[in-house]
Parts: sequence; structure tokens; C-alpha cells
Amino acid sequence: MTTLLSDPGVITPTPPEAVAPRRRRRLGAGLRILVGVCAAVVVIGAAVPLVAVLATAFAPDALPRYVEFFSSSVDLGILRNTLVLGALVGLCGTALGFLFAFVQARLDVPGKKILHLIALMPIVSPPFAVATATVVLYGRRGVISNGVFGLEYDIYGLDGLVFVLSLSLFPVAYLGLLGMMRGLDPALEEAAMNMGASRWQIMRRVILPLLAPGLVAPFLLLFVEAIADLANPLVLGGDYTVLASRAYLAVTGEYDTTSAAVYCVILLVPSLAMYFGQRWWLNRKVRTTITGRPSGSVHLMTGWSRWPVYALALFAAAIIVSIYSTVILGSVTKVFGVDNTFTLEYLKEVLLGVGVEAVLDTLTFAVIATPIAAVLGLLIAWLVVRHLRRTAWLLDLGGTLGVAVPGTVLGIGFVLAYRPERYIGDYLVFPSLVGGSAVFAGAMAIVVAFVIRSVPAGQRTAVGALTQLHPQIEQASTDLGANSLQTFRWVTLPLIKPALLTGLSYSFARSMTSVSTIVLLVTPETKIITSQVLSAASTGRYGVAFAYCTVLTVLVLVAFAIIRLLVGGGAALHRTAKSERPKR
Amino acid sequence: MTVAAPTEAAALAPAGRGEASTGRLQLQGLTKRFRSRPGDVTAVDSVSLDVRPGEFITLLGPSGCGKTTTLRMVAGFEDATSGSILLDGKAIDDMPPQRRPMAMVFQSYALFPHMTVAQNIAYGLKLQRRSKADIAEGMRMAVTSMNLVGLEDRSPHELSGGQQQRVALARALVVQPKVLLFDEPLSNLDAKLRDAMRTEIRRIQRMFGITSIYVTHDQDEAMSMSDRVVVMNKGRVEQVATPGEIYARPASVFVADFIGRANFIETVPESIADGKATVTVLGRRLSVPAHSTVVAGSGDAYLMVRPETVTLSPVTDGGTGVGAVLRSTFHGPSIDYEVETTGGTVTVTEAGKDPRDALAEGTHVDVTIDADRAYLLNRE
Repeated sequence: MTTLLSDPGVITPTPPEAVAPRRRRRLGAGLRILVGVCAAVVVIGAAVPLVAVLATAFAPDALPRYVEFFSSSVDLGILRNTLVLGALVGLCGTALGFLFAFVQARLDVPGKKILHLIALMPIVSPPFAVATATVVLYGRRGVISNGVFGLEYDIYGLDGLVFVLSLSLFPVAYLGLLGMMRGLDPALEEAAMNMGASRWQIMRRVILPLLAPGLVAPFLLLFVEAIADLANPLVLGGDYTVLASRAYLAVTGEYDTTSAAVYCVILLVPSLAMYFGQRWWLNRKVRTTITGRPSGSVHLMTGWSRWPVYALALFAAAIIVSIYSTVILGSVTKVFGVDNTFTLEYLKEVLLGVGVEAVLDTLTFAVIATPIAAVLGLLIAWLVVRHLRRTAWLLDLGGTLGVAVPGTVLGIGFVLAYRPERYIGDYLVFPSLVGGSAVFAGAMAIVVAFVIRSVPAGQRTAVGALTQLHPQIEQASTDLGANSLQTFRWVTLPLIKPALLTGLSYSFARSMTSVSTIVLLVTPETKIITSQVLSAASTGRYGVAFAYCTVLTVLVLVAFAIIRLLVGGGAALHRTAKSERPKR
Repeated sequence: MTVAAPTEAAALAPAGRGEASTGRLQLQGLTKRFRSRPGDVTAVDSVSLDVRPGEFITLLGPSGCGKTTTLRMVAGFEDATSGSILLDGKAIDDMPPQRRPMAMVFQSYALFPHMTVAQNIAYGLKLQRRSKADIAEGMRMAVTSMNLVGLEDRSPHELSGGQQQRVALARALVVQPKVLLFDEPLSNLDAKLRDAMRTEIRRIQRMFGITSIYVTHDQDEAMSMSDRVVVMNKGRVEQVATPGEIYARPASVFVADFIGRANFIETVPESIADGKATVTVLGRRLSVPAHSTVVAGSGDAYLMVRPETVTLSPVTDGGTGVGAVLRSTFHGPSIDYEVETTGGTVTVTEAGKDPRDALAEGTHVDVTIDADRAYLLNRE
């Protein structure tokens, strides 16, 4: 840090003063270029594919499909399945997140650090790992369900999906609720205690009502993620078809892009509604409940009643651990649970055999996409929070399309928009980017998809970090003669480094584990680990699937370490004195 | 707080200490309107001001009076809706903040938390691409003149509030701005430190002779530091004058009420000549100075009387006097009385008397007003 500014030559020269119109200074040339770049990526990666889907779905020949859809009991059943799945995963995942957050924030029990790590495990896990391990452990011939309890439980279908998706997605709810519980002002509890309320009365009358509005956002978020998920319905769905898997089949099995687009639009409606409902809810809540810094100290629950709650959390943790141990053990045993002889065959296949191509391709694409996505997310956040005024919401919205739009829809959008070669007259103006004859064997489309799917995570964190950062700190830099880009480089960026770190880590993890968009974009020449896992899992070659999952997880964890090393730990953000709330 | 030997700091100051030749700042009809839902809000309403080079001017007013917005327009962080800002005769309205030769000391100090004290101070010089020797020299001067020796390698969060404040000032000074801007810089400090910093800021400002605009809502701060005070209310300038003038001859009831304490006694001026009005107050005919807007026979006049310009004398001959003591409050060096009179309740401050001789509540008193220090104003 001491060398940060030691060489004045590093500082880019101030651009010549722009001749700006009176009264309304425009953005500087550098900023305008940045806005252009961000907008271009968003348009190419999200807007155009989305428009392509909408154009196909509302083309004249597609309109009769809506009548078909809403008069067919099969199709209506699919819609109902999707919504039921979303609602159940939203409920179960939020409940699970609440349980872990409550134990973490409120109970005086041992082993909370380990419990925290276990709760975060699903974040870095590849998408099929949980589903496949669940089949192996709790399926019809499951190691636990059949081997231990003698049950022949049919895990395929709604129950299995809810189980797997809740376990995979709950960390989001956990982190959100944990932050909220820690943010609750302990003075409120102390006040209640002071007036003679018992611990459980405080819980019921004070804490739960305060947290209740906060349960809505994770519910909606999990709903969106659950109905957008493609991987698990393909492996575990059985007869239980949802819109995402139906649309996927329409493209890959029936080559019927019009139907696929129609399914996409019907899937888009609840997705977008829930996603933006969630954001609206969060923004609305911020204004009403955050009233300053918490004071006093948290009073942990110490009575006997903490043990049943703790036991419940331990049980859930045990299930999570059993699943991930199965992934690791499954990759080094012949047939886990049946023939437990140690073997390196599967790992060899992945690392030295046919799998190495997929591993290297995925790694290359992710390594290219990660810095682009992280920097883009950071820039969009910075432009949105600090520089753009009337157009801020548009760029902010564009940046979040990568999560708001289900991956399957985005993937189908890519196919529709970028598979055909575009000619003007006889001249090829836009080559095919997707499919067998695509340029770079489709690699470009995959990288763009990785970027678009990864931008929102970094963007959200950076928006949060920037809103925390007092604008006067940046103004002080401007006041001392720095232009916007110098201020960003020397002041803003070092201060929001934790956000950059998160952005890079999330981008890499999301790229490596992305399925729904990518399965539609892979070509014979470009193999992706997740699509390899999908084919291995759906043909029952669980050992190979587990080997891929293990390798993928190790790669992600190693990448986290490398990113941390490169970026450096986060600079501690110490507030300068009691600064008033940023005016925005 | 120890004060650095002036000779050390003087080296940083431009030649001819305290006598700046540049840094004249003019605001001409500066107006700022914000768009808002029920209708536009005028935060600053045609403010005009001519600040002499080297002058220390305070913008004083209640919160929301537009003083900070005015300062931010001068700094360039806000665009004026209309009006103009001139620095040494040249309009700087289109100049972005980073090119304006001004430096600001923020309320939150806004020190860069990821840089050391030295890096914070050197930041502006590095942006100017000064030579290493220049930077080292400027830094040494700033550090010694602001009593920061030995703290160069600390992080801002390791400093006390007063030290952070001095770093912020050093960082602003070192770029040798033509105008220094202060946005309520002392509001985060405790009372004792605040007093010390007032003296410190004024000493440094005089030494370097830099034109300064200082925003505060603390009248004590404004009165004790400024060459001239600009009292603002609801976006408009109420009065621009020296602290003494503002106190003794406020231009409006608002100013009189906002600065210090004042009694307002309703009265009708009988005649006005040469700025003096004849009024009858509490049974006495007085000849008092009057504001130019007051006209004879007007029923809208108030006589402003500062509590310390009134003397009470107990009635000893058994009469009732013009009033009676309602309440007395002991403050240590002074005693406040509230006196019920025929002209309403009058607050009186008596200083330098033995507190054991305080007048008991209920005592009948005669009230004497020092006519030369009273001032006749128009009701708003």
C-alpha cells in the first residue's frame, strides 16, 4: 500500500478540459466510453437473447401455442408443477436458512464455526453433486434409505427435487437472515427484558415480528432460483416435469424453438415478477427498519429449550455432510455403497483420460470470463451509484438480467439470436456463434454467457459497498484535483476491494458450475464439465459424475485461494468519525 | 494544544504573509433549485457575495438554510441553476471541481482510510505531478505547521478526532489552493477541542492568507472566527457584516433572534430623524438607533434589547415599579432574570455581581434599558 502513489508517472494525465454546456456538465470522455462498454456487453449478452426469445414467442405462428398451452391439461400441469416446486423450495429453504441463522446468531451452543462452514458448502458445490449423491444415499437402492432403514423410497419427483433444491439453495437465505439477525438492535431486546419479558416472550413478541418481513425476500429469491433450475429436474425430476426442463427438451429433443420460446415466456413471467418483487421488498424495508447502529450486546439463549433447536440444525448439517462425503467417497470407490473398493479409475478418467478436455476447456473459459465479469460488475455498480442519474436504473437492471432471467431462457435466447448466420445481401455480417459450425467452436458464446451469468453477484456486492462508502471521500479526491477515473483507481477501488474479491470468487464459482445456459451452448468441440456430469449422471455412471464434481470443487477452492492471493485481503473500511448517512 | 512556532510554518506561506493578492471570490445571483415531487424547492435563492482576497467569511444559518449547498456550488460539486461564480474576475461555472484551485475540509474529514497520514497529505501533490523533492518539502511543511510530526505513518483510524481534523486541513493546505472551503469541520469534535481548533484554523488561515469560506450553524464559531459573517435563512442572505455589526445592528428580527439572545418589545416610533427614533418603552421615552426601513407611526416595530444591556433596580420606596422578578437562574458568572413587565416578559442578564445578592423572585423592580445598545427593527 505504501507504494500506491509513489510513482507519479503511473497516474494518467488529466484529459483536456471538455467543452461542456452550461449548467449541466456531461460525463467525461473516459466515463462515456465505460458506460458504452458496459451497455454493449449487457445488450449483447442479455438484451439481444431476451429479445430473440420474446420475438419468437410473440411471432404470429407462436400465438396458437398459447391457446394450446392453456387448454392442455399436460401443459397446465407443468405450469402448476413449476409453481408448486418454487413455493415449496422457497418455504423449506427459507426455513432451513432461518434455522441455521438462528442457531448461529442466538443460541449459546458449541461448534457454531463448523456449522457456519457446513451451511456454506452448497455454494461452491457443482449443481449435480447434491442430486446425484441424494439418489445414491436416499434413493430406491439408497445406502441410507435402503441399506440402513430397509426402505425402497422413490426419490424421483417433487419430494426429491424439494429436498435437493432446498439443500442447494438455502445458503443464500442463511446469509441474508444471519445479517439481519445480527443487525437487530439488541437494545430492543434489552428494553423488553427490562419490562419483564422472558426469553421466549421476547422471541415471540419482539424478534419474530421484526424478522417476519425479512423472510419474504429469501422466499422470493429461492422461488426464482428453484423454478429456473434445470440441472436437478433433469437428473431427479422423473415424471415431474417443470417449465425449464420442458423448454430444454423442446430445443434439444424436438428442435421446436417456437414451443421452447413459448415455455420460456411463461417461465419468465413468475421469475421476473418474483425477482423484482424481492428487490422492491428489500428496498422498501430498508427505509422502514434500519434506524442506525445497533447498540448494546446480544443476549444468547442459554435455557434447556435451545437443545431441540440445536439438534434440528445438527441433523440438517449431518445430511449436508453425508451428501458431500458421498461425492468425495463416490469418486474414489468402484460403486459407492455396493462395492467399496478403492479406485482411482474415475479420477484418472477425468484428469488424464477423456475428461481432461472438458476440465481444461471449462477452466480456460472460466479464467477468461472471471476477471471480465468481476470488473464489469464493479464498473456497472460504480457508474450506477455514483455517476449516472436518469439512466442508472436501466444499466442496473441490465446488469442483473443474468440472474433475473432463468438460465434456460437465456440459453435458448443465445441459440435463437446467435445460431443463424446473419447476411446482408451476400455478405456475412454476423457469423454463427452457437452450434456446430460456430466461430471458435462456440467458445465465444460460452464465455459471454459465463460473464452475463456472473456479473450480477459482483454488481450487487459492489453496489452495497459503494453505498456504504461516504461520497465525501471521493469528493475529497476530486477536490484535490483527481478526475473521475483517477479517483476510481486510487480511492474507490482500494476501498471496495472486498467487493472485488467477492465478485471474482463468485464469478469463477458461477462460471465453473453453470449448467442451464451452458448445456444449450456446448458443441462437440467445446466440452464443459457440468454437461459431462449431466451425461454421466443421467446414464448412471455415478463414479465419473462424482469424480468430475470433486475435481470441480477442488478447482473452485484453489481458485478462491489464488484470487485472494492476487487481490490481497480486503482493506478494512474504517469510518472516519461519525459521518452522517450518505445522501442518496 | 501546543502551537507550532510560526517561523516553521511561515516558509510554506506565500511571500508577504497574510496579504493575498489573489483569491477574490464573487457569487452573483447564485440560485439552486432542486426538483421535488410537490414542486421545486429553492435551496439557494439569488445569493450575491464579494469575498476579498484573504478574507475569512462564514456562512451561518439554521440547518436547511442553503449554506452547505452554496459551499458545494463554489466547490463545483453542485451546478447552479442560475447565477455565476467568479474567481479573480473569471467565471468558473463550467470548470469541473478537480480543476478549481480550491480545497475543502469536509465535515466527515473524508480522509482516505486506506492511506497513511503522509499518503493522504501527499495525494493532491502527486496528482499535480510534482517532483519528489517538492512533495517531500510540501509534506514537511504541512506536517510541522499542523503539529502532525510523528504521525506520518499512522492510519486515519488510529488518530483522534482532532488529529484527523488537522490531517484534513494539512491535506487541503498543501495543494496551495486559492480558496479554502470548510463544511462544518468542527461539528464532530468535543467542545474543548473545538475551541482549540478554532484558534488553530484561524492562525493557519491568517498565516497563509488564503481566502476562506466557512460553513457552520454554530453562531459562537461564526462570531469568534470570521472577518465577516453571512447570515442565511431559507436560501436567502439576511445580512452580511462583521460579527460586531451583526450582533449590535442586526438587519432583521430573524438575525437578532438567531444571533445571541434578544428581547423584542413591541412599540410605536413617534418620530425618526438621523437614524434615531423616539419611542416610549416601559414608561420611559428613549431615543434609540433604528433600522432604515422603520417609519414613524408604524405599528410594526420591535425594539430589540439584548439581555445584558438591561439593568434592574429593586423598588425600595414601597412602589410597584414597572415589573416583578418572575424567575431567576444562576449560571455562575452571571444571573438570568425573567421579569414580568407591562411590555411583556423581559429577559435580563446580570454579570459580575455577588450571587448572594441575587434578587428574590417576586421582587418589584424598575427596568433601565441602555438606549444606545438597543435597536429598532421592523416586524418581518
